[in-house]
Amino acid sequence: MERAKENSFIYADPRKCLGCKNCELACAIAHADCDLQTAVTQGLQLQPRNSVVQVDDMVMPMQCRQCEDAPCALACPIGAIYQEDGLVKINEKNCVGCKVCVMVCPFGAITIRADKKEGGNSRTKKAKARKCDLCYSRIKDNKEKSCACIEACPTKAIMLIDLESYRNKLFKTRAKELAEAHTHK
Amino acid sequence: MSNKNSVDPSVDQLLSIASKEGIETVWDRFEAMKPQCGFGELGICCRICWKGPCRIDPFGNGPQRGVCGADAHTIAARNLIRMLAAGAAAHSEHGRHVALTLLEVGEGHALAYQIKDEQKLKSIAEKLNLAPAGKDIKQVAKEVALASLEDFSRQKSSIPCNWAKETMTAERVDKLIDLGVMPHNIDAVVTQIMGRTHVGCDADAVNVLLGGLKGALADYTGMYLSTELSDVLFGTPEPVVTTANLGVLKEDAVNIAVHGHNPVLSEIVCDVALKMNEEAKKAGAKEGINIVGICCTGNEVMMRRGIPLATNYLSQELAIITGAVDAMVVDVQCIMPSLTGLAECFHTEVITTMQENKITGATHIEFHEDSAFDSAKKIVELAIDAFKRRDNAKVNIPDSKQTAIAGFSAEAIMAALSKVNAKDPLKPLIDNIVNGNIQGIALFAGCNNPQTIQDHNFMTIAKELAKNNVLMLATGCGAGAFAKNGLMTQEATEAYAGDSLKAVLTTIGKAAGLNGPLPLVLHMGSCVDNTRAVKVAVAIANKLGVDLDKLPLVASAPEAMAEKAVAIGTWAVALGLPTHIGIVPQIMGSSVVAEFLTEKAKDLLGGYFIVETDPKKAADKLFNAIKERRKGLGI
Repeated sequence: MERAKENSFIYADPRKCLGCKNCELACAIAHADCDLQTAVTQGLQLQPRNSVVQVDDMVMPMQCRQCEDAPCALACPIGAIYQEDGLVKINEKNCVGCKVCVMVCPFGAITIRADKKEGGNSRTKKAKARKCDLCYSRIKDNKEKSCACIEACPTKAIMLIDLESYRNKLFKTRAKELAEAHTHK
Repeated sequence: MSNKNSVDPSVDQLLSIASKEGIETVWDRFEAMKPQCGFGELGICCRICWKGPCRIDPFGNGPQRGVCGADAHTIAARNLIRMLAAGAAAHSEHGRHVALTLLEVGEGHALAYQIKDEQKLKSIAEKLNLAPAGKDIKQVAKEVALASLEDFSRQKSSIPCNWAKETMTAERVDKLIDLGVMPHNIDAVVTQIMGRTHVGCDADAVNVLLGGLKGALADYTGMYLSTELSDVLFGTPEPVVTTANLGVLKEDAVNIAVHGHNPVLSEIVCDVALKMNEEAKKAGAKEGINIVGICCTGNEVMMRRGIPLATNYLSQELAIITGAVDAMVVDVQCIMPSLTGLAECFHTEVITTMQENKITGATHIEFHEDSAFDSAKKIVELAIDAFKRRDNAKVNIPDSKQTAIAGFSAEAIMAALSKVNAKDPLKPLIDNIVNGNIQGIALFAGCNNPQTIQDHNFMTIAKELAKNNVLMLATGCGAGAFAKNGLMTQEATEAYAGDSLKAVLTTIGKAAGLNGPLPLVLHMGSCVDNTRAVKVAVAIANKLGVDLDKLPLVASAPEAMAEKAVAIGTWAVALGLPTHIGIVPQIMGSSVVAEFLTEKAKDLLGGYFIVETDPKKAADKLFNAIKERRKGLGI
């Protein structure tokens, strides 16, 4: 049987991040099915699933790390959070907005927000748990596209990490260095 | 690659050479620049103090005010009017240069220059109430120059600029004075914009925008005097048949491209080059010297001398990639800083000429009016030297070359109309507008922009409006687009004009001795010459006794880019014209600014902006605006 692969995840290099927040704009737009000008003209209150955070003199976007043993999935009382297709998914239809996932997420990567267009009423605010879905629906239909935040980053600080190839690259680089050191080249 | 970057066939041809040789052009840089910053795109990034940079979250999650407290509306409005100020400054510096040159001529200096159109000088003097009758022509020149320079120096803010007040309808002048947006001094208004947008000053977005309107009208003033005084010094354009597109370069000639905007330099280069033809032949150029134009300097010399237009803004780099341009002489505005790097791959001399406009890597030959001939001679000599170094293996001149009928100054249009009705030249035009043979008039202006396929918006909208019998005028890189792509021909009129428009253009064209119709689009000059169209419009308005905002007139800058275009579009709105822009302006992050420009301006001024990136839809919207105006007039 084939071994299950680790989930890929978004990684940002704080040394390259300028804090411009274009990844936030791109993320919000990517999940709204419209372009920036239209969204702003129509006054849509879109919600990005990432957040550019500054701590001291370091700045970088934070988003879901697609944990392998995800606390959010374990904690969700509805069972609306689950592993599928190499990422942690939220079934927004079933979510009741109880915020347990927000509390247990070690990265603060989950928000509970309503899409303005869904519109609440006095009985429900229609808010759902939302987080980075690696642009699953965007990429599914168009293999040429990568995640919106990656495409939007002007300094290429954001990457989609495939753990296996990432480790392989590390192995090879370090192995080469070690081998050279041992053979006194 | 075809049709992706431009509808101009020579572009694809030369870009394939560029990509093979690894030469980078504007289109490569545009791709590399993507994605462009969303905050900048929406106009809600503020960089006017060092507490920032600040940006407003357009979706309401993050900050809604900058560190100082400015909201999206204040920020977008301030950013916009600073662009307007820069546009006004660019045009008006050009105007000042021409006015100072005229003053030199009036005082008997600057021997390279003369008064080429005395009649026009006198009529300007009349317009400015300077009573020219009986005065020596140099005295008149001096007085006109000084009256024009007064528009840069008047301190009493209750007295409007001469060139603004005397060139609009009386009703419009009153309206603009009432709104407090009539400029009294071009320099002061530009300075005021910079001052009121400093941190902690004008924060009411609408008031900021009114300041911008004043800046746009200062731009109008500077442009108007620039065009009119250039006509005095270099001649008022008359219809001329010439050619356009990169096929105008000649393999066996020393090709000198004049590029930029200011005719004060290029006119003298043309004069001197004519005299140095033999030297070019001696250097091996069988056909001597071939001067071609790029951008609006190109339009200036095309209008007055019938010099062929090589290309417009976006494809300026391709002129060098032909390997056949020996010297590119540049003055001011819209000159890509990339040119000198490109020229390193070829033999081309890029020559800068203005003290305040240098490019690293260019040869600088500073140009002054009093030694104009000497500088021009040095420039032509450099071109001939460069020709000797030309590598023929690298020469790739595209075949594309179109006939272009240019030279339609307001005076030339009136002259053509007077051939139909000598006593009342405007009558045939007005009659045909009233009876609907001509549905309205559209002025195309503005730039190229890689955000859209080069020239595509111009061509698409013009063909649609032609079908609907709209008379079309063009300036700047819009005019360049039509010239390069064959819409300034009689054949285009035959092919695209609606029946009634075709009939009118044919009657006037035949009467004017063109042996056929006028071209489909009338070339009115460079971008600084948009006021030529205003001159015609004001004449029509005065004749009908209505203000400009009642006439079926529209303007379109479908591929706008420069701050100058922002200023031109805004004064077109201030004069009462529905004005289309085909590029989304960097203001949409503020609903107040967007609403003011596209809706509220209509109540205030009659003119308003129409933002539409789809050229077919834009043509519909422009035609609807024309129909609305016709309905208003009851015609």
